[in-house]
Amino acid sequence: MSQVAAPVLPARYQVVERQEETHDTVTLGLRPVDQPIPAYQPGQFTMLYAPGIGEVPISISGTGPDRGLVHTVRAVGAVTRALCACTPGRVIGVRGPYGTHWDVASAAGNDLLIVAGGIGLAPLRGALLSALGRRKRYRRVVVLAGARSPEEVVFARELDGWRDDGAEVAVTVDQAAAGWTGHVGVVTQLIGRAHLDAGQTTALICGPEVMMRITARELRALGIPAARIRVSLERNMQCGVAECGHCQLGPLLLCRDGPVISYEAALPLLAIREL
Amino acid sequence: MSGVTTADLTEHAFLRGMADGHLAVLARDCWVVPVRQGHRLFTEGDTARRFWLIRSGHVALDVHAPGGRNLIVETLGPGDLLGLSWLAPPYQWQFSATAVQDTMTFEFNADAVHEACESDAGLGYQLLRRVMSTASSRLQATRIRLLDIYAAAGTVHGGP
Repeated sequence: MSQVAAPVLPARYQVVERQEETHDTVTLGLRPVDQPIPAYQPGQFTMLYAPGIGEVPISISGTGPDRGLVHTVRAVGAVTRALCACTPGRVIGVRGPYGTHWDVASAAGNDLLIVAGGIGLAPLRGALLSALGRRKRYRRVVVLAGARSPEEVVFARELDGWRDDGAEVAVTVDQAAAGWTGHVGVVTQLIGRAHLDAGQTTALICGPEVMMRITARELRALGIPAARIRVSLERNMQCGVAECGHCQLGPLLLCRDGPVISYEAALPLLAIREL
Repeated sequence: MSGVTTADLTEHAFLRGMADGHLAVLARDCWVVPVRQGHRLFTEGDTARRFWLIRSGHVALDVHAPGGRNLIVETLGPGDLLGLSWLAPPYQWQFSATAVQDTMTFEFNADAVHEACESDAGLGYQLLRRVMSTASSRLQATRIRLLDIYAAAGTVHGGP
């Protein structure tokens, strides 16, 4: 039997499931060919390697078959296009897991609020599934998700299942044709309608940085302290082990100190334009 | 008599904090109106002589687009003010509004509210503050949507 893969060496994983989420986003179920990478926590990421093309950092969006992984990838470059094109049977490289996590367990006894923009729901999916798996530990579990259009809502097929498992799920889109019975508007407009208990809420936010800033501002205006708001930041992660410095954000190397950090720590950094 | 009381109105988020005297004036010009799913409350271009406070349910604002399609520009829900065009010339609806589910509203006679505001500047100021706050929030939300932020390529969240 081979040894546990070192964090900087990719382990071989076979694509066993492929689900098209939107026109440019695919969820891949991966099964380890040899020894799996160490156990992950929701919010952490791996470096996915498309053989012969390159490597990209992708958040883990869930647990796959046989100690495997689930990753949701949006095709926006050469590597991600290659990953999205992978069909069952293809073998890719995975190293990690890297970085910090959502620390969902620390929200036990509180309301858990998850706010996602676009594909930002992918890094939060693991946190949500973790909370729903231990549903009684939490008071309300609220999911607010925004997308450009109904066709671009990721995990759309899972939303009813999350509701059945005890989550309150609201989706809003930027634009929709008549017939859409969900919300139209920005995701922050759902916050006021969620009737949150500011003193008892832990918030996890993931999406474009502008969206996270605006969302965090709304939550703080409601009285939720910055220390109980967590965001997932992204910069140019390359090595994954805090050696190359490409992902530096002020004093942080986000591949090690992030991607998930408290908004209390993120706020002063996000205010610096040069960063 | 409309049957709507100041106690009914004070529970609505839009009117929270308004003095009882002002609520009593508004209560005279308002009715509880249930709206069935699919009912069109107003149509783009028509004269705006009413407005609504949504108590439950949701209403979609839409605009007609070429090809017979209607595009939804915003969805309003409980606690929201429905209708801004009654307040300023040319008093014409800029969009259409359709209930996307069974909805309960307070419906106001805009002409009567105009008159009440003309004769009581304090009421006018309180109402305008709230309308301004609503309009400001919707303007900010619209600006954010104009950024099309979800189109931005990410790294960890989806991949370069």
